[in-house]
Amino acid sequence: MARRSFRRMILKRLINVFLTILGIMILNFFLIHLMPGDPIENMIPRSPKFDVSLKWNLAEKFHLNDSLPEQLGYYLYNTFTGNWGTSYMANKRAVFDIIMGDMRWTMLLVGVSTVFTLLIGMAIGAYSAYRRGGAFDVGATSTTLFFYGMPVFWLAIVLQLLFTTQLLGMNWWPQLPAGGYYDTQRYGAELKWTWPIFVSACKYLILPSMTLAIGSVAGISLVMRSALVDTMTDDYILTARAKGLTDYQVLRRHALPNGMPPMIALIAMDVAFVIGGAYQVEVIFNYPGIGYRTIKSIQDLDFPILQFIVVVGGVAVVLANFISDMILIYIDPRIRMG
Amino acid sequence: MGWFNMHRLVVRTRIPAAPRSSFVLVGAILGFLLLSGAVLIPGLELPGQTSGPAELRSLTIALGPVPVADAGDPQNVTEGDMIFLGGSGSVPSDGASIINYTWIIDYHETNQTLYGVNTSFSVRGTGYVGVNLTVTDSNNLTDWDNSYVVVKIRPATFLEKNWLILVLVAAAAVLIVRILLGGIKRVLAGLPFVTETSKEKSRLATRRFGKTMKQLLRNYMGLAGVIILVFFVFLAIFGPYIAPYDVHKLDLENTFALPSKEHWIGTDNFGVDIFSELLYGARTSIIVGMVSAIIASFLGAAVGLYSGYVGGWKDEVVMRLNDIVLSIPWLVLMIVVAAFIGEIDLTGIILIIGLTGWSTTARMVRAQVLSVKERQYVERARAIGASEMSIIRRHIFPNTFPLVFANTILTVAVSILSEATLSFLGLRPIGVITWGTMLSFASSSSAFQIGLHWWILMPGLCIVFVVLGFTLLGYALDEILNPKLRKR
Repeated sequence: MARRSFRRMILKRLINVFLTILGIMILNFFLIHLMPGDPIENMIPRSPKFDVSLKWNLAEKFHLNDSLPEQLGYYLYNTFTGNWGTSYMANKRAVFDIIMGDMRWTMLLVGVSTVFTLLIGMAIGAYSAYRRGGAFDVGATSTTLFFYGMPVFWLAIVLQLLFTTQLLGMNWWPQLPAGGYYDTQRYGAELKWTWPIFVSACKYLILPSMTLAIGSVAGISLVMRSALVDTMTDDYILTARAKGLTDYQVLRRHALPNGMPPMIALIAMDVAFVIGGAYQVEVIFNYPGIGYRTIKSIQDLDFPILQFIVVVGGVAVVLANFISDMILIYIDPRIRMG
Repeated sequence: MGWFNMHRLVVRTRIPAAPRSSFVLVGAILGFLLLSGAVLIPGLELPGQTSGPAELRSLTIALGPVPVADAGDPQNVTEGDMIFLGGSGSVPSDGASIINYTWIIDYHETNQTLYGVNTSFSVRGTGYVGVNLTVTDSNNLTDWDNSYVVVKIRPATFLEKNWLILVLVAAAAVLIVRILLGGIKRVLAGLPFVTETSKEKSRLATRRFGKTMKQLLRNYMGLAGVIILVFFVFLAIFGPYIAPYDVHKLDLENTFALPSKEHWIGTDNFGVDIFSELLYGARTSIIVGMVSAIIASFLGAAVGLYSGYVGGWKDEVVMRLNDIVLSIPWLVLMIVVAAFIGEIDLTGIILIIGLTGWSTTARMVRAQVLSVKERQYVERARAIGASEMSIIRRHIFPNTFPLVFANTILTVAVSILSEATLSFLGLRPIGVITWGTMLSFASSSSAFQIGLHWWILMPGLCIVFVVLGFTLLGYALDEILNPKLRKR
């Protein structure tokens, strides 16, 4: 019985995921296509050299002469058959190639910063909960909240200033590159993964990823703290203490596992936030990721790229939520059996 | 409000074909622009006519497309080529004047083709500006163009000036009328104006409020939040009166002044005292945050109440829509909306933030409603024949209200951040000064490089502290009002 309802639940969730993704595609299609401006104008230089028929042919090629519902039909059909189209700009390269090229950098940035956020946030949260009401708790909570209130772009600008100039003539102050993804002047613009390039890329990654991490530590540590406070006041913790377990053992074996579910849900929600924050960071640090591409494609009215970015972002959030739901079901026997 | 259409005409002045293809886009160093007498025909509707509230701060006008006599061939230009452009002209003004201008060289990167040069002007003040522009390149080929624009500024109406006070007065009036109506009802029913019951009710309400306040002030987070907010609300109310300079008065002789005794933080790109702007910004930033948070919470609560209470397939549909709104990357959505709308004012930015921020609140309210509606007292109310509306009003809503309230305070913090981010990314409300628009002007003038560090640091710090204040207060209220957390 239980097994069957479990399967039905997953099936229902899957259908929801599909519907949500479909909705995202339709909404974003209309939003983007109703933007003022004519993409064809941007594709060819404004000059009498180019015949009007060229415009017409281009418009035909990209189905821009059809009515909106027809275009939506093409768009949905092409998306689900795996034909994601070519960019209007950039020598008509395939959208998928362009986005995947940028995605590497965004994923690297978001990945590194998420790992840092989790490590720092969970450690702070756990220790605050453990010493609830103490000096560390008060200090850590207010410090993380202080950073939480910073506009990401502002923090990025300030960090950039801090680590690219020698303040007050302090020679020992570390200097970091102000923007870019690796030292292209020294190693050439063509990316080959060699050791020195890797080291250089890591160096260029420090500031952007730290900016992202600092802002979101508060979210993780606060939830970690309250989840742990919740479980630490439960009776079985008292029992565990009474058995003579050390504080660390109690935390590790009893409190942490039970404090996990809210954390997992939160991490999934954070995907959306981190992607949003990454946009601002990429713009300020000239990091060649998705955010950078988005701004450019809006200026160029490059619909295929823009649509793909929005859909990928939406799908990432939906899938992250779905996966976190599945993990929660898997680790929480009450949901699985009920 | 009807001042969306802010005259964005682009004048394209085309450079005629030059015999040789070698020029760099060194661009465009114009002496000062030009003017030629604009013919003023009073009462005639002229292109580029505009109106705006008296607070209008800057207005960018690019003069708009004018037929080009000689289309010419596009020139092929390769990197390293040099083009010299010279321009001449002058600007007479009938009140309005050009405060700055930019050259935009239309150069197609992939084709390496130069096909035109545009100029755009920022006009300040009211009146007419006419521009005759002549461009000469290094081969002595010239092209010219002219256009004119009319700038009218409508003084702020009584409503625009005093809407905040009116809203407050209206809210107070509604409260008083409600109390009076209750009394009159009792009198009509033959009871005294003030009965024992109503006395007791108000006593209990006051006591509960007092208790919450006491708990709040005993909570160190709440206390810190209250102190920070009292400070900034004071600034928001009295800031414009203590500001040493009038921020609407430009001093174009004195732009980018470094910090001094007269200007503590320096002056901005319009020569306005930055410290005064900070004080003005407090009001607008906090208003943007609060109003959009209230809109978002109201919508979220309505959607959540509906979907949670109705249940069934309607709930499913609403929740799917909610998921969609939640999943679309928020910032991309905003940037697209920005491209869509073009230029927005204060109301516009409030609506954008408010109308896109409701989905988390809706989710939270729905969850709470789901748990409340199964409680026994709801069942009892239904059994004695209470209508759906009155069950929602008397039982369900009061039980979700504390959550919504605490959440609204948290949303204010998020909205202030959103406004700053949107301003920074170019979606800045025109005609008003907020901390966000200050940051955006500061970073586009590269304030750090010209020594105006505080121009970037101060607005940012103000945002950080206000957000911190609202966040602390929000969390503290949540802890006090949320029954799930209160138990501990």
